[in-house]
Amino acid sequence: MASQHDSLSEATGPQVSLPLGRGRFRSDGLQLRIGILLILLTGIGPSLLGNSYWEHTFQLVNILIAVAVLQNFLFVDAGQKSFGQGAILGLGAYGLAIASGIHGAPLTLGVLSAVGAAMLGGLLFALPALRVQGFHLGFATLSAAIVFPQLLIQFDDVTRGINGISLSVPALTKPLVWGLSGLTLLVTAVPIAALLLHYGIRTARLGRRMRVAAESAEAARALGVRPGAMRALAFMIVSAGTGLCGALYVPAVGFISPQAFIIELSFTLFFVVVVGGRGQLLGPIVGIWVIYIVPNVLLVQLVEYRLLIYGFLTLAVVIAFPDGLVGTVEMWRRKRFQRGGGEQGFRLAPFSETLEKVAPRPAPAAAAPPILEVRGAVKRFGQVVALDRVDLEVRPGEVHGLVGANGSGKTSLLNVISGFSRLDGGSYSFRGRDVTRLNATGIARMGLGRTFQTPRIFTDVSVWDNIQLGLDARPTPLDPEMARLAERFREVYGEDNPALLAHGQRRLLEVIRVVFADPALVLFDEPAAGLAPAERAEFSRLLRQISTRLGMSVILVEHDLDLVWDIADRITVLETGRVVASGPPQVLAQDPAVQHLFVGGAHA
Amino acid sequence: MLSEIAIIVVRGVAIGSLFAIIAMSFNIVHNATRILNFAQGNIFILGGFAAYFLADNAGFPTWLLMLVVTGLVMAVLVAMQGWLTLLPLRGNSAEQDSWMISTVSVSVIIAAILMLVYGPFAYSVGGVVPAFRIFGVKTPGAFLLAIAAMLGCYFLLSWFLRHSFTGLAISALSQDFDAARAAGLNVRGLQLLAFGISGLIAGSAGFMVAPMISVSPDAGLRYVLNGFIAAVIGGIGNNTGALIGGPLVGVMAMLMAYKVGGAYQDLASLIVLVVILMFWPQGLFGRATARRV
Repeated sequence: MASQHDSLSEATGPQVSLPLGRGRFRSDGLQLRIGILLILLTGIGPSLLGNSYWEHTFQLVNILIAVAVLQNFLFVDAGQKSFGQGAILGLGAYGLAIASGIHGAPLTLGVLSAVGAAMLGGLLFALPALRVQGFHLGFATLSAAIVFPQLLIQFDDVTRGINGISLSVPALTKPLVWGLSGLTLLVTAVPIAALLLHYGIRTARLGRRMRVAAESAEAARALGVRPGAMRALAFMIVSAGTGLCGALYVPAVGFISPQAFIIELSFTLFFVVVVGGRGQLLGPIVGIWVIYIVPNVLLVQLVEYRLLIYGFLTLAVVIAFPDGLVGTVEMWRRKRFQRGGGEQGFRLAPFSETLEKVAPRPAPAAAAPPILEVRGAVKRFGQVVALDRVDLEVRPGEVHGLVGANGSGKTSLLNVISGFSRLDGGSYSFRGRDVTRLNATGIARMGLGRTFQTPRIFTDVSVWDNIQLGLDARPTPLDPEMARLAERFREVYGEDNPALLAHGQRRLLEVIRVVFADPALVLFDEPAAGLAPAERAEFSRLLRQISTRLGMSVILVEHDLDLVWDIADRITVLETGRVVASGPPQVLAQDPAVQHLFVGGAHA
Repeated sequence: MLSEIAIIVVRGVAIGSLFAIIAMSFNIVHNATRILNFAQGNIFILGGFAAYFLADNAGFPTWLLMLVVTGLVMAVLVAMQGWLTLLPLRGNSAEQDSWMISTVSVSVIIAAILMLVYGPFAYSVGGVVPAFRIFGVKTPGAFLLAIAAMLGCYFLLSWFLRHSFTGLAISALSQDFDAARAAGLNVRGLQLLAFGISGLIAGSAGFMVAPMISVSPDAGLRYVLNGFIAAVIGGIGNNTGALIGGPLVGVMAMLMAYKVGGAYQDLASLIVLVVILMFWPQGLFGRATARRV
């Protein structure tokens, strides 16, 4: 394992072949294939064998699987818990049943009406999702699940109330080939499509960005992602898909009434995802089989106790096997085949060696306008003044050190510059534009990157995926040298487990991520804390390179004054929220106001 | 006209008091753990069932004794629930997945048991406080009791959280777990205590106001939902906000019932919730907290 990483650091040419590691970090591809196989078997198997009981049972089961797959996506990839998916399914079903069953509209129109109704319902979740997340949406979805069946009964002139609507579509139930009806084929195709959709989004840029938004809103905003928009989009995608499932539900069951879409259904769909294994592609399939088929088909005498059993089962899973049935197996597999970590788990060397080959940017003219200009910044937290009329100027391509004791306002200043907190007074401009009122996402999209004191590393995706998030945020294509490097990172770290990285390595990983995003100005918040001496030297070389070779400006907050002293072009010293000195290191060394900071250091 | 307004206000404030009480029982747990207990509505309804079986039409001494017993039993039950909920959460309780799932499943379990044992019926409970008249309209005594319970709960909690050592320690948790732990506080113990107190509040409130609520297995969800709306309007964690948010929601619900009929009350709740979350997600009286990055 270690040798594999050495080969990366020593040779940067594309001719070196890397040994393939065993095992994958995630088994999504395998789970996808097994899932499709299981749905195919259960979807068309009973019809081929001519067993109409299992045919009907699995038609309903496979529709529910498709709904649960979408819920699983919403739950983990978008991070939102919905207790209202039963209501969305019902909206889809009633959309079709009212349009085609009552008013005799053509089926295509009926399906459109199903998807439309479900998406309108989804708006109730998506709109608040723009502002809030987590339990807030949990309550909103719960509320919708309570209200939906009531409305079906209240508006009985539209919905026929408790009498329900029946709709049979002979064209769909007529066997086409080998005893397979159009309905059977559709009911098999839709859950497979849902699985492919889940897998497709997850492995795409959209899915990665959604996941970051779900796990760390701050990291997402620093990468130019709007978390609210991601949540709302996820709710709308899921609603559209669930509406389609609702449309299928009607011909599969033949009759719908409010009783079919009570809150119990929503809870069941939620529990299915948890018991099967949150985030596992196979989870919803196994979950439905365990939660739905076992009590409803095999233990019919227990139907009354169904909800009670679901409740206890889910509680037991959360406490004893939080990863669920499939997830527990997956975690065991991941542990067994995990790779990465160790001293060579993540290194900067290949990155800085590649940068050596990039032609240096011409030094910007001394008269070039500053890329960042902070004027009279004031930030208060209650009675505490964190920033007191701070002025700061960063020139293009400059490494600007920001030093001061704990509590002197360094991180507060970084948070203001990156748009995470608003100024109480003063203003600042970035790339010549006043951005005092602009939010973090907007500033990130203008070309500002940052790292955090606690690195935002996502342990559920591979080391390479963590780097790729930076590439996803990049506005311009990589130049060929860097693209080759990215490809090599993908080969080497594609299946590495980031949980095995030491703290210092995580910081470096975050640094690489942000540099790949190609910001014009990047803020590093104590990047060298916890680095080994060799890593520190490597890091300082990288810092110089990203300024000289890539032309980025850097603001470096760091307690290691030697490091700052060595590489900063200019240094600003903060003390209790005020700038006490600012200038090139040689000048600061003469400044009596700040000399005490450097006393005892090598440069005093 | 005036009498109608008065009735709407009195009934709305009384029903809203229940929402405020549930909101306050949310708040103490949330401040200590960042958890919102989805089962809180069913705890409240369990209190109502206790009143039906232990103190229906009982004399005042029996009623009072049973109130205390119910409150204590609920405190113990919810503390146990809290223990289970906190079990998978190591360190901080910020991870949302696990507690939302476990509190929702406990909520479903309680409702399912009540349904299996008592069926889908609403039980009516006789009260100890006699009915009174407002503008000539008979009003159950429980309405007064509800408002009194809300005020009592508010002032007792305020005193406890500001003046007792334990209460101050729980308040400290709402600021920062790590700092509290570093200061030598038994974080887990205080969190369980907070769960216990929330059970005491919700359970005994359900017991006291049983005559004015529908004591049925499926009512819990409605109360937890309206309690949450009251908490959001007041700003989650803010008891003074809940004191205003609860009656506000109650009066809105009564007004809605009066204008368009009681059948749309849950729809009204949904709409209010969605609108509040869209436009005032921090609540109308929420407190600003410094963002930590």
